[in-house]
Amino acid sequence: MGAVIELNELTDAAQKAFPADKLSPSRDESWQLAAEMGWLMVRLPEEDGGLGFTREASTALHLEMGRVLAAMPLIPAQLGLQAVIASEDFAERADWLERLAGGEYAPLPMLSAKLTQGSDGSISGTISGVFEADMAVAVVAQLPGGYALVPLDAPGVSLVERPIWDPSRRLFDVVLESYTPTLMLTDASGAKALHDRLSGEAQLALAADCIGAAGAALDMTIEYMKVRRQFDRPIALFQALKHRAADMKTRIVVAEALLWKRVRDESASVTELAAAKVLAAEAFRFVTEEMVQLHGGIGLTDEHPCHLFLKRALLNLQLCGNADLWNERVGREALA
Amino acid sequence: MTDTADLEALRREVRSFLAAEAPTGWRDASRTQDDFVRTQRDWFGKLVRAGYAIPHWPAEYPGGGRSLAEQKVIYEELAGADCPRLLLSFVSTYHAFATLHECGNAEQKARYLPKILEGETWCQGFSEPGAGSDLAAIKTRAELKGDVYVINGQKVWSTMAQFADKCLLLARTSSDGVKQAGITYLLMDMKAPGVTVRPIHQIQGDEEFAEIFLDNVEIPVSERVGEEGKGWAVAQATLASERGLTLMELSYRMRGALGRVAKLIREHGHEEDRGVLRDFGTLVTQVDAVCAIADQFLDNRINGIERMGDASIVKNAYSRALRAYSALGLRLGGMDEQYVAPITFGDLNTGNWMADFMNSYAWTIAGGSEEVQRNIIAERMLDMPREPKGWVL
Repeated sequence: MGAVIELNELTDAAQKAFPADKLSPSRDESWQLAAEMGWLMVRLPEEDGGLGFTREASTALHLEMGRVLAAMPLIPAQLGLQAVIASEDFAERADWLERLAGGEYAPLPMLSAKLTQGSDGSISGTISGVFEADMAVAVVAQLPGGYALVPLDAPGVSLVERPIWDPSRRLFDVVLESYTPTLMLTDASGAKALHDRLSGEAQLALAADCIGAAGAALDMTIEYMKVRRQFDRPIALFQALKHRAADMKTRIVVAEALLWKRVRDESASVTELAAAKVLAAEAFRFVTEEMVQLHGGIGLTDEHPCHLFLKRALLNLQLCGNADLWNERVGREALA
Repeated sequence: MTDTADLEALRREVRSFLAAEAPTGWRDASRTQDDFVRTQRDWFGKLVRAGYAIPHWPAEYPGGGRSLAEQKVIYEELAGADCPRLLLSFVSTYHAFATLHECGNAEQKARYLPKILEGETWCQGFSEPGAGSDLAAIKTRAELKGDVYVINGQKVWSTMAQFADKCLLLARTSSDGVKQAGITYLLMDMKAPGVTVRPIHQIQGDEEFAEIFLDNVEIPVSERVGEEGKGWAVAQATLASERGLTLMELSYRMRGALGRVAKLIREHGHEEDRGVLRDFGTLVTQVDAVCAIADQFLDNRINGIERMGDASIVKNAYSRALRAYSALGLRLGGMDEQYVAPITFGDLNTGNWMADFMNSYAWTIAGGSEEVQRNIIAERMLDMPREPKGWVL
């Protein structure tokens, strides 16, 4: 029961700090607030000075941040922190944990990297999918020799912003040119286990972002349908439209049920966690497509937030493996 | 409240009973309606004797007095062991029980409830040709003459009425005022003079439902439940009697039956067809999610935090998944499925894909159609305005 209370308190605090009517709050102010509220430490074990909460807690936070279309990169930050937490043999582990818990940012990339190793052992290529890299001190990357912290001010490391359609976030490539890693988190043999752990966590975090944002999109759409009048009545009265709203609600509630089931299932495989993300992201996409249509012309304007939801949904679908990839894998594993 | 250790003890107890007694080969033994009814009666009798047939009844009945958490355990184990579902006795143990228990008088309870455990079966005389989603529009009349009601009218979509001993009947005693106000709830003997039952031949070859024709049927006043004209409220007790266990049980059965789709994929050599694997994976996740929402719904009921509309979401999620399940099997089965093959009565996931596909419509139509559920979700959960009443076209 204690865990339930903690979870509710966390959710309440998040909703107070990030009210639903303020979409896309300033990234830097949000980050500072999150650090002050201890959110960067929720998953840090107590023996490392953190709060030691379970993944239910981080899921609850990511869900609330999805609801307001947060620009702050809490998901990549949590995942980067977990990479360091898991790296027991990393000599500077304690030092980095303190820095990250204190507000420095070392994200895990949300897309795969294309890297090659030179004969001298140095690494060149591109690490894609790094959110808000302009505020990062380092990136957690899977290099040919294992996971490493790559400081962004190291020689041979540069940043390239890749403009994306989703205006609620910023995405960068980290480009390596003959970079020699110095801060190894794992060796090559330890990389697989860490990869599985991080990718499962990433799927849950993204699923939560989708569910939170989809819920907010539905709320806004219902509100609009109640005030928008045509033919002398609110359009919410039309059964053809009410049924669409009901289907939106159903998709969200069902995807959320699977998400929480898998969050609480410690034995769930990466594929099973990814299935929860695919279902949540598809629900989010469905809801936002309907949101634009049900808003009519206003939904096509830049000044109305509909497009923020739609674009976030379509980007989320592509992060950490898309629906085609994971659905195939779910099918293959269920066949085995 | 039942603690976890007690629940696990119950689970072991049910499991060991099922290991010894769970019927095998019942699908092959249910190729005709009569054989199906026989297997149903056998299995119901065994469950009554073992104490697992009526866990939701009060403790004064043998096998009753189980908490909802305990009921969930029993149904999980029945689904896991792939036992036949109790279809023939469903209306008796749920609808008739809830109606009599909540609204019946002492004499009615004493007369009918013990007989249900002896195998007496009930059907439901609610829907009519002109009263489906709009149930309160029933026209079957009940006229009080002395100490009997005389009934004239027609009922339809009555589940297994051809095998029923008794009927929960809604009839109109008045046409004044709002249509709900003139409805009276009666208990009818199916062998009474003037009752004619005609099974409905369904598109997949099953006869799960029947029509009931009522021609000057006499029902004693003592068989009325509640007051005259207050039958609509009693009917709500009937309809609210099932508390989510069925959908949870069915969801887990469909989860178990995904193996039938996998078998089809292997038989047709689609193991490396990425499109087929994606479609199968999508279905697996859809079914897993239905199990998750059905579980969550029951847990919310157990914890007393169910919200208006939750049940509608579970029903629509299940019925759509069932359609998707049978549609994928039908597609993968290809031309083979177009040749008529024997059907199995009383099962939704038989592997006869044409039959299963057609049967899946029962779940998007019966028990409150998908469209009615959408109205409930929109109006009661999302608080969208209700349609103005009384429009005349």
